[in-house]
Amino acid sequence: MDWLEQELKQALARKEPAPDFDSRLRRRLVRTLPRWFAAAAAVIVIAGGGAIYRHHQGEQAKEQIMLAMRLTGSKLNQVQAHVQSIGERQ
Amino acid sequence: MKALVAACALAGVLCAQQFKINLDHLEAKASSKVDLALASNWLQFGGTFLDPKDPDEAKAKKIISGLEGLYIKHFEFKTEGQYTQADVEQIRNQLKPPEWSRMVGIKSAEDRENLEVWVRSKDNKASGVAIIATDPRSLTVVNLVGNVDLESLAALGGHSGIPKMKKK
Repeated sequence: MDWLEQELKQALARKEPAPDFDSRLRRRLVRTLPRWFAAAAAVIVIAGGGAIYRHHQGEQAKEQIMLAMRLTGSKLNQVQAHVQSIGERQ
Repeated sequence: MKALVAACALAGVLCAQQFKINLDHLEAKASSKVDLALASNWLQFGGTFLDPKDPDEAKAKKIISGLEGLYIKHFEFKTEGQYTQADVEQIRNQLKPPEWSRMVGIKSAEDRENLEVWVRSKDNKASGVAIIATDPRSLTVVNLVGNVDLESLAALGGHSGIPKMKKK
């Protein structure tokens, strides 16, 4: 066994983690996870809220357009009916 | 910033609307009212939500594609005499030639209703329509800005839950 083999064996040898490794890892996860999780949740909520608000506005615009069309149409329809009845009388 | 946006929006409304409808004082007297000021961008935005498979909505979509604005004030009153002829006159006075010409004027003694359709022309092209409709218990003023398809609009009046007027 030459020196290189010896070095490799030492480097790749199984090492037990430090006794507090598990608790340290958990602590770090708890510290870092909520940050990106909260950011992702906020992005989802904002994007979703924006889409819902936009849809609500679109429905509102559609209702206003249809109301305007009905009102205007009914008045023009009245005009047409009057004109037709005058035409028929003559 | 908000004030600036509001000022710009108001300026946009005033620019698009072709005459002033000063009837705010009637709001308190009305039993019901409709006040719509739909600017071009709002019409186009709402148009994207209209269902082309629904016959009425498809017609509405076609009509609004040529419009730059749609402004309506409609009041209904429980009793007669809540608005005056001066209220109507101050609107009619703004519709002057050569821009405006009255296309139809109907005065029905039987129903005590008045119907007027005015067309605004610019460079020999219709660029707007005004409708004034009154009866003892209601007053409606409409300003359609842009290229208006009156026939399609009248056809919509016979749909959408509103019965088409029968010939008398």
